[in-house]
Amino acid sequence: MASPIWLIILPLITAFGLGIVKIFSKKLLKPFLALSATIHLILVIDVVIRAFEEPMIYSLGGWDRLFAINLVIDPLAAIMALLISVISYLVVIYSLSFIKEDKSKYRVPKYFLLLFLLIAGMLGMVLTGDLFNLYVFFEIAAITSYALVLIYKRDGSLEGTFKYLLAGTLSGVFILVAILLVYLSTGTLNMARIAVKFAEVPGQLKSIILILFLTGFGIKFALVPLHTWMPDVYPEAPAPYNAISSGVGIKASLYAFIRVIYVLFGFDFIANTELTSLLVVWGVITFMVAHLMAYQQKNLKRLFAFSSIAQVGYIIIAVSLATDKGLIAGGFHIVNHALMKGAIFLALGIFIYYFKAETIEDIKGLGRSLPLTSFTFTLAALAMIGLPPFNGFLSKWLIIEAALESGYTVAAFFIPVGSLLSLVYYLRVLQSLYSSGEPKPRVDFKRPRLSLELPAVILGFSCLLLGIFPRLPLDMLGQISHYLLDSSNYINLLLGG
Amino acid sequence: MELTYLVIAILICVGLYAIASKRNLLKIVIGINILESAVIFLFVFSSYRPGGTVPIISGNHELFVDPVPQALALTAIVIGASTTALMLGLVIELYKRYDTLNITEIRKMRG
Repeated sequence: MASPIWLIILPLITAFGLGIVKIFSKKLLKPFLALSATIHLILVIDVVIRAFEEPMIYSLGGWDRLFAINLVIDPLAAIMALLISVISYLVVIYSLSFIKEDKSKYRVPKYFLLLFLLIAGMLGMVLTGDLFNLYVFFEIAAITSYALVLIYKRDGSLEGTFKYLLAGTLSGVFILVAILLVYLSTGTLNMARIAVKFAEVPGQLKSIILILFLTGFGIKFALVPLHTWMPDVYPEAPAPYNAISSGVGIKASLYAFIRVIYVLFGFDFIANTELTSLLVVWGVITFMVAHLMAYQQKNLKRLFAFSSIAQVGYIIIAVSLATDKGLIAGGFHIVNHALMKGAIFLALGIFIYYFKAETIEDIKGLGRSLPLTSFTFTLAALAMIGLPPFNGFLSKWLIIEAALESGYTVAAFFIPVGSLLSLVYYLRVLQSLYSSGEPKPRVDFKRPRLSLELPAVILGFSCLLLGIFPRLPLDMLGQISHYLLDSSNYINLLLGG
Repeated sequence: MELTYLVIAILICVGLYAIASKRNLLKIVIGINILESAVIFLFVFSSYRPGGTVPIISGNHELFVDPVPQALALTAIVIGASTTALMLGLVIELYKRYDTLNITEIRKMRG
């Protein structure tokens, strides 16, 4: 019976314990990391199962709930925590083989230190019930991300990361000012108490706060036109980082935004303003622009970066509808996109690791050299396009249904158009993968290592599994709207009626 | 009172201007620092109460300054310091590679 705070503390201890372990024995490093990641996964599953029976509150330091920083694990937070820990676990296992030592022998400990801090930051973001605590974890995740991109110090990564840092710092400043305004107008940072008092805040101030939050988090989850850092950063970053960032990193910011608009501003605010139509139009623009940009890319990681931006557009449409169906569809697409993009980037990492294949031209002929990896890649790519029977089809279908139900016919029309566009460029990639060519492998190549291939395969096949058996995730997601659509439920949960 | 808000607004504008228009990497970093300092200034100033004392309850005083924004400002300073450190490290690395601090020339060299 672990208390939820261990979900955040364990990665922190692991990150800072690495140095001590390294002093004793270098051989112990990898078993230590694998053990810690496994224990962490078990703890998360345990907490999530209990949270689904009854939402959990944990007050740090044993203070009264009114004053303490609380961890609030309602169904949405539980699903996000589970998603983050599953993807992180696979990425950690994958990275153990993927990241190679450099001359100074410090790259591996440095990489894992940053990776575990990133995991702690993301989990903190989804679990916390305190606005400023959210900002702190947000910055932990952000700063570790900048450093992770730089781990190889490749030429191209420097300028891209500078752009990323600039964008990230600006987003931090926006969120900080928004939090200050919230605090000044309500006198508290506890999300439930803010929700109680926020109704009295004048409308204009509310709009300013909303815009600050939207731009702040929007930079991080790559809302067009705030997305420009992402395609520059991804090509130079290590593949496992791409998987974790695209899969769950941007989703943590998205989650924070959802939490802020639903709990702080509440359903009434969304219903009484033009927020929904604004965000729906913005979502459509986001995915259309991203699909069109992705179509022109030759570098695979750039292409998938644009594809990630496009999926954010779909999710924004779904969650901004403020209906039961929309939230379920959006949540399902968050889960699905994490699995699909995780599988794609991990498989791409294997291509890069053994063949240095970074562009569409480079992967020619790999379909025969790496049959299982390529098959995984294909499964995930088909799911990304949204073909039945994969999970991507189901969630896009649910989004269309939800949009039609709320009367956004045009948006619903554009979703299949976007899928068609993605069909074009994904097929180009797949065609290149299975066409004949002479790939030049590294000297020692026979077949990919199991620890590299297995995480990718697990994620790839889970796309198919979730597409065929969507009952369990949809049942879990069915509970999220209870605490979002009616913020009084959240307030009662946190403040105890 | 209004004057202080004006100063903060000017500082924020100076910071944003430096970020948006300067081509020198170091000047961009300085611009970010000015922006962050302005926000921290806003935090500290918003917690100020005329005639208030330090928020330690000792019995004699009735009016205290608001301690929460000050605590937040401390955290923000720490975060700002770490991003600045990371940025300056990056600038050093960029200078080593390209022998210039001008962002336009660096972009040109990358092609």
